[in-house]
Amino acid sequence: MKERLKELLESLIFVSLEPLSLEKIKSVLEEFTEKDIEQGIEDLLESYTANERGIQIVLSGGGYLFATRPEFDDYIKRLLQAERRSRLSRAALETLSAIAYNQPITLSEISAIRSVDSTHTLKVLLQKKLVKIVGRKKSPGKPLIYRTTERFLTHFGLNTIKDLPSQEEISKIMEEGAEIED
Amino acid sequence: MEVTQSYQVNLEIFQGPLDLLLFLIKKEKIDIHDIPISTITKEYLDYLHQKERINLDREAEFLLMAALLIYIKSQLLLPDEKPELEEDPRQTLVDRLLDYQKIKALSSVLKLKEGEELKKWKRTYIRTNLPEEEEELEDISLFDLAEAFFLLMKRKEREDVRLIKGKEFTVEEKMREIISILEEKGYLDFYEYFYDHASLQESLVAFFALLELIKARIVLAAQETLFQSIKVWFRKKPRTSFTE
Repeated sequence: MKERLKELLESLIFVSLEPLSLEKIKSVLEEFTEKDIEQGIEDLLESYTANERGIQIVLSGGGYLFATRPEFDDYIKRLLQAERRSRLSRAALETLSAIAYNQPITLSEISAIRSVDSTHTLKVLLQKKLVKIVGRKKSPGKPLIYRTTERFLTHFGLNTIKDLPSQEEISKIMEEGAEIED
Repeated sequence: MEVTQSYQVNLEIFQGPLDLLLFLIKKEKIDIHDIPISTITKEYLDYLHQKERINLDREAEFLLMAALLIYIKSQLLLPDEKPELEEDPRQTLVDRLLDYQKIKALSSVLKLKEGEELKKWKRTYIRTNLPEEEEELEDISLFDLAEAFFLLMKRKEREDVRLIKGKEFTVEEKMREIISILEEKGYLDFYEYFYDHASLQESLVAFFALLELIKARIVLAAQETLFQSIKVWFRKKPRTSFTE
């Protein structure tokens, strides 16, 4: 099977509905060395970028998964007779940003950063499972503290939270005078 | 400085007072590190005046900021006795503005990324009308379940329910009851089931019974889509392959 590792990996990613992590692959393919698996993934990804294909393998939310290429979006929508899931509101994006940069964080801290009460928005984000409760802060009133989830990462096509521009990078972008559009 | 009223902007479009302040700073091409407080306060108040009435629930924050601006202005008017030691009264506000500006910039980055991402179809999204498959469902967290339960109880509380005391229920009895419903119907509708209970006590016992069953991994509670009814099933053996 070793010479067909690339195809084997492809099939594993294909059947996964959630991002398939390298750790998971390694635990399933115990008869292969970690080095071979990593090389196999690399070869597989390369074959997708080199060939002309309508699908690609993306690294998102901590694992690999199949995705169509963005340029075919309109046609796919026609086929599935579906509109895409609605986009997040500005308040939701802002609240997520406040959490992403300051997590773990409490509701009152989020509201202070945004200068606006964020109770409702946070509730919506919890329901959408883009944020989660991770415990309580050891401070008066023991408020709940929140973090972003893996679904947050996949929603924005990020592999880890480190893929977000750092606060320094953001400041730099702003200094360069990039227009912040609403 | 002259205030241009040609810009008729609605207060509603601003996320909050910091958002409005940033807009004014940009509009007046003000250096954020050296804000002319009296100009900005005047501009800010002009925006508030455009509104006929302030909705205190939604816009109290705007008033709070107005108070802060006026306070800073008054601080600046006081004679400077020991200029070396005193912190610029504007500093806290500037820090907040800079922080908020970062959040705003990140949220526009996220918006772009979301747009790109929504054009890439993944197999996870292409799950249309397959609610019977347990793999397709949103596995529900304890938090969601408890919230659904308490919401339901609150709703019931408002209705005129007469309490009939007397019969005691045990968790074991309720577990058996849930199992027999599942055996008979194949699933249990969370709301329906709890709504039919006569008393809060009985509901609580039944809820504990359900939690026990979930913990023992005998049943599974799931929601087909967000905000829809929660259903409970027997947990099937995990699927290992597609050859099943």
